[in-house]
Amino acid sequence: MKLAPFVAILAALAVPLSAVAKDDPAAPRRITLKPIQFVEYDLANGLHVILHENHTSPVIATYVLYHVGSKNERADRTGFAHFFEHLMFEGSDNIPRGKIDKYVSGAGGNLNASTSFDQTDYFFNLPSNELKLALWIESERMMHSKIDEVGVETQRKVVKEEKRMRYDNQPYGSLFEELSKLVFAGTPYAWVPIGSVQYIDQATIQEFRDFYKTYYLPNNATLAIAGDFDLDKTKKLVEEYFGPIPKGPDIKRPEFHLTDPTSPVTHDVAKPNTPLNATMHAWHAVPETNPDSYALQLLGDILSTGRSSRLYKRLVEKEQAALNVEAFPFLLENGGLLGVFATGQHGVSLDELDKLIDEEVEKLKAEGVTAEEYRKALNQEEAEFASGFGTMATRARNLARYHVFYGDTNLINTELDRYFAVKREDIQRVAKEYLGKEKMFTLRYPAAGAPAPEAPAAK
Amino acid sequence: MKTKTLLPLLLAGLTIPAFADIDRTKKPEPDPAPAASFPDYRTETLPNGLKVFVIHDDRKPTVTFRLIIRSGSIADGSKMGAASFTASLLNRGTEHRDAATFALETDSLGVKVEAASGPDSISVAASGLTKYTDKILDLFSDAVLHPAFADPQFARVQKQTLSSLEAEKQQPSSLAEKLAGKVVYGSFPYGNYLTPEDVTALKRDDLVAFHHAQFLPNNASLAVVGDVKADDILPLIQKAFGSWQKGEVPELKLPELPKIKGLTIHLVDRPGSVQSNIIVLSDAPPRNNPDLPELNVVNATLGGGFSGRLFQNLREKHGWTYGSMSAFDYKKLAGDFEATAETRNEVTGPAVAEILKEIERIRTEPAKEEEIALQRQYNVGNYLLSLENTSRTAQRVQDIDLYGLPADFYKTYAKRMSVVTPAQVEELAKKYLTASDVAIVVVGEAKEIKPELEKVGKVIVYDQELKPVTK
Repeated sequence: MKLAPFVAILAALAVPLSAVAKDDPAAPRRITLKPIQFVEYDLANGLHVILHENHTSPVIATYVLYHVGSKNERADRTGFAHFFEHLMFEGSDNIPRGKIDKYVSGAGGNLNASTSFDQTDYFFNLPSNELKLALWIESERMMHSKIDEVGVETQRKVVKEEKRMRYDNQPYGSLFEELSKLVFAGTPYAWVPIGSVQYIDQATIQEFRDFYKTYYLPNNATLAIAGDFDLDKTKKLVEEYFGPIPKGPDIKRPEFHLTDPTSPVTHDVAKPNTPLNATMHAWHAVPETNPDSYALQLLGDILSTGRSSRLYKRLVEKEQAALNVEAFPFLLENGGLLGVFATGQHGVSLDELDKLIDEEVEKLKAEGVTAEEYRKALNQEEAEFASGFGTMATRARNLARYHVFYGDTNLINTELDRYFAVKREDIQRVAKEYLGKEKMFTLRYPAAGAPAPEAPAAK
Repeated sequence: MKTKTLLPLLLAGLTIPAFADIDRTKKPEPDPAPAASFPDYRTETLPNGLKVFVIHDDRKPTVTFRLIIRSGSIADGSKMGAASFTASLLNRGTEHRDAATFALETDSLGVKVEAASGPDSISVAASGLTKYTDKILDLFSDAVLHPAFADPQFARVQKQTLSSLEAEKQQPSSLAEKLAGKVVYGSFPYGNYLTPEDVTALKRDDLVAFHHAQFLPNNASLAVVGDVKADDILPLIQKAFGSWQKGEVPELKLPELPKIKGLTIHLVDRPGSVQSNIIVLSDAPPRNNPDLPELNVVNATLGGGFSGRLFQNLREKHGWTYGSMSAFDYKKLAGDFEATAETRNEVTGPAVAEILKEIERIRTEPAKEEEIALQRQYNVGNYLLSLENTSRTAQRVQDIDLYGLPADFYKTYAKRMSVVTPAQVEELAKKYLTASDVAIVVVGEAKEIKPELEKVGKVIVYDQELKPVTK
């Protein structure tokens, strides 16, 4: 989820905090990238279309993003959006059950889909002579997907296996589930997209049909196509396939915000297959479009990107206490968190790991970051950004995401400027503002068989 | 660059003729297929024997250097872990830069220098922005040619590896893969996995010796991918690697490859498991076997993707698993075939039986032309799609060198896959697949799954140290 964030107006309003420190190098300049050109428009039914014509390879990538994710679920129907994603492979009025993959594979392509907190997406990669196939299937799914008992029963079982495989049978597999429950408590982000399987068993076929009618609407969707196609012909085809889908009512989106805890919150997760002590420190952070998101990304880089980063140098290299450590902003549409996760070396206690992370975070808050660290983090983001959009699939996906979540598709070309607009002082400021000791969440996985950790003293 | 059109307005009067062209009750016909041609690239061999491939890609202002040493853990000899530790230490300090300096210099430019070892090779890759090409090449060649193998860094990696091994004892996929290698390859080096004893026995000097013996220009190839021109980059490579001295690559002394005979189930007891990791294994030919493109179609039919038989049967028909797939794992001197699934405890036995049934079915029942046509096209089309990825192209070019494949292997690849017939699928399945000489590895909750597995065949139980449990 490194696809961070921004709103142009807010950037323009961001007030420089203070004069640039004397030891800073000249204001860094970023490289010029070849622009990714695109056209975008809305169909009459509200479907947003983004087309990036590029003839480098004879391939096309299509990407359909529905602006619905697990946060749109009821608390007693978690896992619904993801389950629904599975049902969207069943078929439609014109596509027999089980044929979607056969058509795409048989055309020499591949396909998949994913569900997250804020969105559900469907993507095809195909040789470019099969564009119509992609448009046909995606428009069929949007127009009249098939939702019947046969598909529901099989997919109920499949999704339970998916949850066991990804979450329940892996060491630390429940990490994100526990983290969301702890940090986002009281909001629709408190559960992860896989949800709880019993709710899918309880859901009726009518509920699935209602969900489809509420969210799988052209006016709640964005279609991005990247690759080897003719722009004018494709516009016409898109209109032919998607134009007849009726517009639906506006979507009610959940509104909520995170309330910081008034004292630190700690939770231990005891599991029989946890091999090494591991700890997560987390704080509430901003939605992905907030101007501070870029400073938070750079803060994350300074803490843990590369072997010269602060946490790596201290925990892994110097103290040899941790096997790995990562600071990561996890920023969503309505809010986010900044987490620091460390897995201890064999025999290193949770308290030791916690203490080392605390010390490094407090040190950064107290002393700020050096000019060298600031410059390095910008260079790391620059390299990351420059290498990010090579394939047609990554271009289609990011064009759609920038449109839906940032309202500015052209960020695919300009977002790097947002990083370079961050001042060195901003990094210390966001660390102080968001990483307060008094509002920290700690989630710990004690190694199985290790002595029970001391409960932290109440504050 | 963005053009916001007012298309809805423009189209308002056009809707009726526009809709006349399509019939949404039928799958649309494709346009004529685009050609799948392997990209052109430049090949040069330096006087010291280093083969260099330059693959141009101007979509991003980046460059990647990827060196392949044609020796991996198979060359460990009695020093188990030598190849893997050598790779791990390459970016942890050189004779000119200590570990901290090396880390700072790479991080400061957003450059990544990473190395990894496999059974047959070690790869070292460096990537970053083209504006830093000189610096990237400097750091990269320093890591490849002059690693320091400093004692404190060696000790750190040793300690970390011991912790990682501790963690892997609880990871079902790690347990399954380690035991799978062992039951297929036995004491042949492909079957080795690192143990704490190996790690502790290893000395810093073993890495120096491994590096000295195997890191030779005539035992390597170098691919450059990115927005660089061959004429500009080749002189820089000559400058960076020209003084690298060629030498004699040590000959490998290897034991006989074992053969899997009969059906045995190797069950790793992992108490607390709510799912079983299943791998059904059989012997397979090496990477340079002449039937490889055609075998891709055989494998795809059985378990290559969502439309493969294993996926359709175990997931879509039975709902036993999130996914079930198969693949040939080809190495330089041998290979193995693996069919996998992760299933809930109570259906583990039936799932194993069903996988065996599908393997037997593809060997003995002729497939319909319609099914094979789909799988041919799936392979050919996805190969075409993969050509978009220039790093993949670099890997393929280096694979030709590493595995001794015919020079035109990837030029004829799609064509060969496109003409496989159902009769050929059956014939190749008979030749290369077996449901009777198989080793089946299962990691799961033994007390719940063992009785059902015993209905399939003889079961040997192991603990999480992968030692057989004797009763």
